[in-house]
Amino acid sequence: MPLLRMRGITKRFPGVRALDGVDLEVEAGEVHCLLGQNGAGKSTLIKVLSGVHQPDEGEVRFGGEPVRLAGPTAAMRLGIATIYQELDLVDGLSVAENVFLGHERASYGFVRRREAARAAGELLARLGHPEIPPNRLVERLSPAGKQVVSMARALSHDARLIIMDEPSAALAHDEVANLFRLVRELTSAGVAVIYISHRLEEIREIGDRVTVLKDGRTVAVGLPAATTPTPEIVRLMTGRSVEYVFPPRRPRPAVPEAGGRDPEADGLGTEILRVEGLTVPGEFADVSFSVRAGEIVGLAGLVGSGRTEILETVYGLRRPSAGRVLLDGRPVRPGSAARAVRLGMGLAPEERKSQALLLEDSLADNITLAGLPRYSRLGWLDRRRALADAAEQIAALDVRPADARRPVKTLSGGNQQKAVLARWLINGRRLLLLDEPTRGVDVGARAELYALIRRLADAGLGVLLVSSEVPEVLGLADRVLVVREGRVIHQADARDLDEHRVLDMIMEGSLS
Amino acid sequence: MTTAEAARRDERVARVSPVRRVLVRPELGSVVGAIVVFAFFAAQSPVFWSVSGVSNWLDPASTLGIMAVAIALLMIGGEFDLSAGVLTGSTGLILVTLATRYGLDVWSAMAAGLVFALAVGFLNGLLVVRTRLPSFIVTLGTFLMLQGLNLGVTKLLTGTVQVGGLRQAPGYEGARQVFAASVPLAGGDFRVAIVWWLAVTALATWVLMRTRAGNWIFAVGGNEQAARAVGVPAARVKVGLFMTTAAAAWLVGTITALRFSSVQANAGIGQEFTFIIAAVIGGCLLTGGYGSAIGASIGALIFGMADKGIVFAGWDADWFTFFLGAMLLLATLTNSLVRRYAEEVRR
Repeated sequence: MPLLRMRGITKRFPGVRALDGVDLEVEAGEVHCLLGQNGAGKSTLIKVLSGVHQPDEGEVRFGGEPVRLAGPTAAMRLGIATIYQELDLVDGLSVAENVFLGHERASYGFVRRREAARAAGELLARLGHPEIPPNRLVERLSPAGKQVVSMARALSHDARLIIMDEPSAALAHDEVANLFRLVRELTSAGVAVIYISHRLEEIREIGDRVTVLKDGRTVAVGLPAATTPTPEIVRLMTGRSVEYVFPPRRPRPAVPEAGGRDPEADGLGTEILRVEGLTVPGEFADVSFSVRAGEIVGLAGLVGSGRTEILETVYGLRRPSAGRVLLDGRPVRPGSAARAVRLGMGLAPEERKSQALLLEDSLADNITLAGLPRYSRLGWLDRRRALADAAEQIAALDVRPADARRPVKTLSGGNQQKAVLARWLINGRRLLLLDEPTRGVDVGARAELYALIRRLADAGLGVLLVSSEVPEVLGLADRVLVVREGRVIHQADARDLDEHRVLDMIMEGSLS
Repeated sequence: MTTAEAARRDERVARVSPVRRVLVRPELGSVVGAIVVFAFFAAQSPVFWSVSGVSNWLDPASTLGIMAVAIALLMIGGEFDLSAGVLTGSTGLILVTLATRYGLDVWSAMAAGLVFALAVGFLNGLLVVRTRLPSFIVTLGTFLMLQGLNLGVTKLLTGTVQVGGLRQAPGYEGARQVFAASVPLAGGDFRVAIVWWLAVTALATWVLMRTRAGNWIFAVGGNEQAARAVGVPAARVKVGLFMTTAAAAWLVGTITALRFSSVQANAGIGQEFTFIIAAVIGGCLLTGGYGSAIGASIGALIFGMADKGIVFAGWDADWFTFFLGAMLLLATLTNSLVRRYAEEVRR
């Protein structure tokens, strides 16, 4: 009898079916790996299991009994502990206080501090970190130290099932070995671990069995982790039921070549962006590439591989320690986004809602935000002209509903993204930097966005695209840079790459 | 890997020196401020540091300190209470009115005041927790309502804007001994309220540092979502904090009413920000999750010293707020510099 058995779990969100009848079985004492591309439903499944989301359909059995995971506390009482990717610790409390928060060792309301500190110390020692003082404030620990505290908390619950969501993402190599030692120790004591990672080499080393999710469905159950061949896993992850509709690339158009020194001379425009030896210590190193007019260049890589950081450094949000960025042949002053905007760059950031939009404000206000100097006369805003320009962009990009006065928060994800693009198009850009442009955008609207991005490139813009979804990068971009652990490990024409090969490079770093 | 190196530097090699441990305490700014203010006024007038001088400025510090400590707990829990000042007036008015006009003895009237205060605190807390409106707005609402109620009811009953004559009420003397007596000691006249203040500070510090409730207060103020996720009853903690603040307001209102035997209908108005300022001087962050009860007490001490020190120095009392502003800036600047330094040490 498996320790955990999930049957037909379905979870719907407005407009999306995040889980569509997922099955999962985990035995006591095994490391069960959960694999799937971004958006496959892994996070939603974890949240159902940890009591954060309630499933719409399906059955969960734990230890043979049907259970209802009504909330985080209910899940923890059953012995299901979760270590999330973003750590949920309280900075103002000590290590020991964080470990036992919510289930303090107390008598009559008084915390037995010495006992708690001793118990926390033991847990930390078990985790291989006896050097972390239990009485130190958590805010004074490094990210890796915080991760260890988070683990100690999961251990403190005497959990029978521990879910680890990309636990190695914040860890250095030698610490990963330590993590594995701990996982083995837990499983030999009968604890089950659900291990989520994108790194296949880790899964091969630590995992017993693998369940693969794709588009909210289980496509493979209980594959042996050590022996299933990589192409098989990649095939399961990629074999697609939802078709992406990508616009056709230009068939070698005839744009006049003005001083182009690209030896390939494939008919694209002049070089717009040139990045040389760009380095931000700890994020990425020695990155060089170029983007030409009419070209879409895609950066493919895992979350945390340095893609977003490269984009942000090009835009001037981060200051590089070495290297330079040239726009139209002129060097861009490092570390100044205002300068980058003036020279003609525009960024559509990853977190659209928090980083790009003024959610409460109208569509028109959001679109004209970056062009305000154009509408101000002696300190007054020419609202009529701003509104007219916004309306023009709304029509051009087909934003729906086409109501310039509507608060932008009432728009769908795809239309919000169009609003962000419209903001830059309103005052003529040379280069667009797009970070996960289709995150939170449903399938139908995606095709529309793809077509729009291609149209912008055809009109002569350079586009630098970041996406976690390999098919998106391959389908949309002309040229692809594969990024792994802060380095560009491969560069090729998108037409010469396929999804399997890119996924393989991203996850294992092999260049076979 | 830089994170690993940082971890090693932080946790394995660098032992925390005692000096640094003192430097990162939240109270540091207030201690620096208190020393500066004391030295300044002591240099102005020898009376300031005589026994009678000390007893003199400990008096305003004590009642303010009780409130500042309660507000500090609430702010660590991530909330504000603007109604706390006017509530000291309300509870005093209830005490005097019930004891002088409705024949209750002083102890029963005090109990009625406490029940009223706890009800207001409960309501504040419930509104904040249920509606998820900012507590700044919710308690601004109750503040204004109480202000109107204090004036309206007082005028309705007495035709004037004050109630008095508590001295003649049964049980007055006993209650005064407990809450408002003064003890002559080595030439000074020390108020019993000082003892209450010290007791409240000690109790709050104990709760914060040593009890489960204290952990929960830091947790709901520092990272409410995480606190909820591990099973901390966040709503109960917050309601409890509002009720604690209200109980402190009752204590201060009672002390003041018993001392003067009468209460103005506008008593306590304008004090709400003073409490917050004292708590902030004492190291509380406006964003919650950080602060100290002792710090808030020292913040109140600074108030007391500046309040009376200006009189001892023979200046116009109008200068008081200038001092206050300067102290607020000095203390918070010290705190933020030290915090930044502590962050850099971590890297």
